[in-house]
Amino acid sequence: MKKIQPTILKGTRDFLPKEMMKRNKVMEILKSTFEGFGYSPIETPIISPAETILGKYGEEGDRLTYSFKDRGDRSIALPYDLTVPFARFFATNYQDLPLPFKRYQIQRVWRAEKPQQGRLREFYQCDIDIIGSKSLICEAEIVKMIVTSFEKLGLKNIVVKTNSRRLMNAVLTSFGVPKEKTMDAIRIIDKILKIGEGVAISELEKIGINDPKKIIELLKPEDTNKNTLKKLSAYDTSELEEFLTYSTLLGVQEKNIQIDPMLARGLDYYTGLTFEVISPDWESGTICGGGRYDNLCGLFSDKDFSGVGVAFGFERIMLLLEKLNLFQDIKAPSQVLVTIFDKDSVKDALSTYKILIEAGVPTEIYFESEKLAKQFKFADKKQIPFVLIRGENERKNDEITVKRMENGTQKTIPLTQLVSYLQNYYEAK
Amino acid sequence: MKRNNVRIAVQKDGRLRASSLKFLESLGLAIKKVDERALVAQCSNENVEILYVRHSDIPKYVLNGVADFAILGANVLYENSLELKKIKTLDFGQCSLKIAVPKESPIKNIIDLNGERIATSYPNSLCKFLQSQKIHASIIEINGSVEVTPSLGLADAICDLTQTGNTLKANGLRSIHTIFDSVALFVESPFEDSLKKKFIEKFLESK
Repeated sequence: MKKIQPTILKGTRDFLPKEMMKRNKVMEILKSTFEGFGYSPIETPIISPAETILGKYGEEGDRLTYSFKDRGDRSIALPYDLTVPFARFFATNYQDLPLPFKRYQIQRVWRAEKPQQGRLREFYQCDIDIIGSKSLICEAEIVKMIVTSFEKLGLKNIVVKTNSRRLMNAVLTSFGVPKEKTMDAIRIIDKILKIGEGVAISELEKIGINDPKKIIELLKPEDTNKNTLKKLSAYDTSELEEFLTYSTLLGVQEKNIQIDPMLARGLDYYTGLTFEVISPDWESGTICGGGRYDNLCGLFSDKDFSGVGVAFGFERIMLLLEKLNLFQDIKAPSQVLVTIFDKDSVKDALSTYKILIEAGVPTEIYFESEKLAKQFKFADKKQIPFVLIRGENERKNDEITVKRMENGTQKTIPLTQLVSYLQNYYEAK
Repeated sequence: MKRNNVRIAVQKDGRLRASSLKFLESLGLAIKKVDERALVAQCSNENVEILYVRHSDIPKYVLNGVADFAILGANVLYENSLELKKIKTLDFGQCSLKIAVPKESPIKNIIDLNGERIATSYPNSLCKFLQSQKIHASIIEINGSVEVTPSLGLADAICDLTQTGNTLKANGLRSIHTIFDSVALFVESPFEDSLKKKFIEKFLESK
C-alpha cells in the first residue's frame, strides 16, 4: 500500500515534548499570575459562523481569515484573533456574567498568510480584558499585572509605554489639525521610530499639517514621567496623572513605566490610555500591547461597554525567553526510572514503582528486563535524573541503589527511606 | 485599634534570652521581672512591652507589625530568606552553621556530599548553600537532636548550628565546612511608626 507523506501545512508546527514543556511552563506562569489578580479563564469556539468573524478587520483581515463551507453549506470561519470572538462572547453572555468582568484567554488563532520568518498560519494569542468599568484603577491594575507577569518569567527590565489618546487628540487639535485628519496624523506619529523623524515630518506635511516639527518636539518623552507631564502642562493631563498615582500605589516602579506622548497603537478603536511593552533585550517589536476602548460589542449589541485590555505576544515572548536562555530549569516529567534488574525482578520492580507513584514522586518504570545499560540509556535520552537499581544484594539487605545520571554517582539506602530520600533531593522537589 | 506602646520581641527559651534582656537593660529599660513562662513583660520606666516568643516565630511578629523590634540570630533571617532592617549588630549569640560527618566517614569535603543524606533543622539555609556549590543531596528535615541521626542510620551528614563544637565531638562528628557565622541582631519592623522612630532616637541613636 502506498503510504501517505506525513507532512504538515506550512506555517503550522509540531511541538516536541521539550518545546511543549517550555510553552506549558510559560502558560502556567501567565495563567497563575492572571488568576492571582482575579481574572477568570474563558474559551470560545474554533469554528464559528463566518459573519461573526468576517468584516471586522477590514479587507486585509477578511482576506487572511480562514473560512470554508461545512457539510450543511454554511459559511464557517476560524478566529483571526481573540478580540472579535471575545466581543461576540460578551454580547452573548454579559447578562450571566459578573460586571465588571475580567477574563483571560489563551487560544490558537489562524491567519491565511504566506508563511515567512515570524509569520505563522497557526499561533497562540493571550488576551486579558476588564470590561464594564471606566475607572482608571483598571489601567493601573493591568499595568501591575503586566509587570508582575514579566517579572515571574524572568524579565525584570521591561518598560510599559503609555499614552492618552485623548491627550494626543487635544494636542493635535491645538495645532489646528482637522478632525478628519487626526487618525492619519496619529498613524504617522506612531511609526516615527520605524521611519525616522525626517520622513514623519514630510509625511505630516504631505497631509497638510502645519508645524509638524513643533508637534513632534512637544510629544517627545522626557527623561522622567514628571518632566514629560510638565512639558504638556498646557493640556489636560489629569488622566495620565491619576493613572500614575494608582499604579505607583500598586508598587509599579518608575523604571517599568514610561509616558510616551507619541505612542498611539495604530488601531482606531482605542479611546483612552494605550499601552505597549518593550524589552531592552528585544528589538523586534512590542511583546504586549493594548488599551482602553469604549465600544467593544458595538457590532454585536446595542449596549456600550467600556473596557481595557492587552494582548501578550505569546510567540514573541517564547522567542525572547529562548534568546535569553531562561529555560534552563525545565525538567523532564518524570524524575525517577525504576529499572528491571532481570527476569526474576519484575514483581519487585513493580512494587517499588507502586510505592513511588502512590507517594506522588514523578516516576516511570522500564517495560522490559533488558540490559541495565540499555535502561540507563533510555533514562539519559528522556533526561530522567534518577535511576533505581535493585539487584540480588540490595534485595537481600532490604536496600535500593539510587543512581544519579548526571554524574553517575550511586547511593545505596534502606528501601524504607526511598520516598523521603527522593522527595528531599532538592532538585526533585 | 492602634497600639500606643513599643513592643520588642525576644527569644523565650534558649541561649539568646538572658543576653537579650541584658542588652535591653543596658539601654536603660527597666524590665519588670516576670515568671519564666510569661509571654509579656512591661517596663516600669517606659511604655515598652517585651514579648517572649519562640526564636523561629520572631520574624512573624515583626513582619506582621505586632512587634516593632526584635532581637534574633542572623541565622533565622537567612533561613527564612528575610531582609529585616538591622539597627545594630550585637556582641552575643555567636554561632556557626556547620556541616559535620561521622569521624570515620569517607566524606572528606563538601563535594563528597553529592547524593548523600544530610539531616538539618535549617533546610533552606542548607539548600541555598548546596545550590550555590552545585551539590546535589537529599535534605532530611529534623526539628531537633540532629546530631544523632548519622549513628541511627538516617543520615550521612548533618548541618547544624554550633557554638563550641562540643556537641559535635560528643556525638563522634567532625566539621567539614562552615556555611556561615551568625550573631544576634537588633532589627526593626518594615512599617513606619512615630513611636518606633522616637524609641530609636531616644535609646539607640544617642548611645
